[in-house]
Amino acid sequence: MRRCGAGELLRYPRSPLDRQNAPHLSLGFAMRFILPALLINIVIILIPALLTVAMAFVDWDGVSTPVWVGFENFRTIFADPVFFSALLNNIKWTLIFLTVPMVMGLAAALMLLVVRRGRNFFQIVYFLPVIIATVAVARVWQGMIYNPESGLVGWLKLHGIVLTDPLARPTTSLYAVATVDLWHWWGFLAVIFFAALRQVDSAQIDSALLDGASLLQLMRYVLIPAIRPTVTLMMIMTVIWSFLAFDFVYVLTQGGPAYSSEVLSTLSYRYAFYNYTIGPAAAVALVISFFGLIATFFYVRIQQRGGD
Amino acid sequence: MQLPRGIKSKIGTLPGVLAIATALFGASPVRAGDGITLWYQRGGTPEQQQIMQKDLVEPFNAAHPTTPLNLDVRASGTADKQIRMAVISGKGPDIVMTPGPSTTLALAQSGHLLALDDYIKKYNLDKRILGPVLRTGEYNGHNYALPRTFETMVLYYNKTLFDKNGWTAPKTMAELNALAEAMQAKNVTPFSVGNGDWRAANEWYVTVVFNHFAGPENIYKALKGEIPWTSPTFVQAIDLLNNWYQKGWFGKNYFSLTDDQQALLLAKGEAGMAPNGTFNFDNMVAAFKQTGQELGIAPFPSLRDGVPYPTYEIGTGSTMSINANSANPDAAAAFLDYLYSDAFYDRISKDWPGDWNLPLTSIDEAKLSKNVSPLFAATATSFSKAVAQGNFGYTTWTFWPPATEDYLIRGIEQVWLGQISTAEYLGKMQETFATEMAAGKVPQLAPR
Repeated sequence: MRRCGAGELLRYPRSPLDRQNAPHLSLGFAMRFILPALLINIVIILIPALLTVAMAFVDWDGVSTPVWVGFENFRTIFADPVFFSALLNNIKWTLIFLTVPMVMGLAAALMLLVVRRGRNFFQIVYFLPVIIATVAVARVWQGMIYNPESGLVGWLKLHGIVLTDPLARPTTSLYAVATVDLWHWWGFLAVIFFAALRQVDSAQIDSALLDGASLLQLMRYVLIPAIRPTVTLMMIMTVIWSFLAFDFVYVLTQGGPAYSSEVLSTLSYRYAFYNYTIGPAAAVALVISFFGLIATFFYVRIQQRGGD
Repeated sequence: MQLPRGIKSKIGTLPGVLAIATALFGASPVRAGDGITLWYQRGGTPEQQQIMQKDLVEPFNAAHPTTPLNLDVRASGTADKQIRMAVISGKGPDIVMTPGPSTTLALAQSGHLLALDDYIKKYNLDKRILGPVLRTGEYNGHNYALPRTFETMVLYYNKTLFDKNGWTAPKTMAELNALAEAMQAKNVTPFSVGNGDWRAANEWYVTVVFNHFAGPENIYKALKGEIPWTSPTFVQAIDLLNNWYQKGWFGKNYFSLTDDQQALLLAKGEAGMAPNGTFNFDNMVAAFKQTGQELGIAPFPSLRDGVPYPTYEIGTGSTMSINANSANPDAAAAFLDYLYSDAFYDRISKDWPGDWNLPLTSIDEAKLSKNVSPLFAATATSFSKAVAQGNFGYTTWTFWPPATEDYLIRGIEQVWLGQISTAEYLGKMQETFATEMAAGKVPQLAPR
């Protein structure tokens, strides 16, 4: 066993072969690198996560002494019809975000790849909504587009086109909120996919073009297979993020009208901070984590396959 | 290759840096000599913040230079949660502002608030604050919270529109029905209402039908657990509210309209009336100023024989307490002494009428009229007199426990949209209420 310096650490490990010959680190030296991140992870991730698990099994209003109630909080949320409608809304949300922004992002990335003129400008334009604060985006859509008095909907009404505020109807409220989030989000995917497409070996693209491949064929047989790891990662992250959806729903509808746009995270928030029932809130949070865990499992498996 | 010594030493000190950062982020309670802190919980425009500095902070600090007030205006909607979390973790401001007695109750029960009895006696606050409102802060024989706002539901109306059509403010259900029909015949929306920027506005209308149809006596019994919320009188009240919604009295854009838009529709005469709180007086005045029409205010009509007119439901939209961990409780109490003084009330009611409507016994129409509009003066005085005479009801945001209140707000939308029946709505409300009552979460009521 020999100890290594930091310079060797930076080179370690490059490949399975390297790994066999890799130098061993002294525990003290390694801990100096690991400890800060480990401490942060323990304090702000592990401990709150364990506390959330514990809270799912107690009756607690956030102030008094918690009382152990076993699975009662899970029985409470499963008896609440709003829980299932919120879960369904999360599933719908996931399906929307797995398709619409993916297609839009890929299409825009392809266009950026093909059309070189103005590429930087369009990248900035696509990415701009991502960096605008959520509340600002939500308020602009709510007040300047959807609102029947002050928004685009109201302006169209003045010109004889009568539309209703989609946020105000139970059948459309969730989609109206998702539209705002899509507008805010798809540009991020476009830029990520474009970055991945630029890494594709130009020889492959040239060969395909020489063979007479059309743009669609190039996309289907060369480009998408080449960036599949990026697409897969984004899809897995989309599943995780979709079950964490909160901000736009909270700002635009607070889950209404009549719970029609309620998602699991807003339901959990309502249990915790409106009803002061921390137990059911934690139980809902665990359900959210469960879906995140499934997605993470697939992510890790794919990563492992990629590594091998 | 070695890392430079400087970087290595920085890595070595990272845990120390983290410890310092943790200490910095975990703000400690204010120490003696630092003054006192108040996190204002309801947000405020830049103009309103200037008014608070001028009327609240500066005069107090001039009189108490060694214990000045540090005012921190926090965004409405989340500030109450921030304050609650800070207080239960043993931190937070010296003066604890909450959105009402049900929030205060949990903090008092868990020992996070100071009993104010001695300070109330010292500063004669029991003689300066209206008794029934002051008692909303009691728990186990001690008072933990003073009511900051004294609010009620009233009927705002467009007086210009009323005068033009020969209409008068309704006092009974029959008059209200006739008026609403007349308005609809003229393509005027009877009620300018909406919850576009404040979902909890739903409960204003539930409060109205509970108090003016079921009546305060029945509400008192239900809040005491003597009758259930499924009693016929409450069923009829919710049916009545649903009937208004179905007949189009709430207009076509209830779920979209914001406070400002509602006020403007009323001020333009596109809507005739608006059941709304006294806390929105400022908004209404601003909207009518824009259109040049005249605003009218009347008590909400009695919706059933036997319910007196006028009846004013008591609302305490926010309360003031002293943090049990405050290092300066005496200074905080001195601030409360200033807050409930005529001097402050005169200033604030002139600059910001409506929101700081303190429940003072000294409210006098003649005196108020010097500073505020006669409309506001008349409403505030009439409300105070009615409460002093025991003729008062109960707002849902003051007297209902939290989960019941939340269901009351969300569930009524399901009734309006035809997803559940009135019986189902009230059944769930009763179930939630019974659970919270058993857990001691219903604010205590003063005997009627």
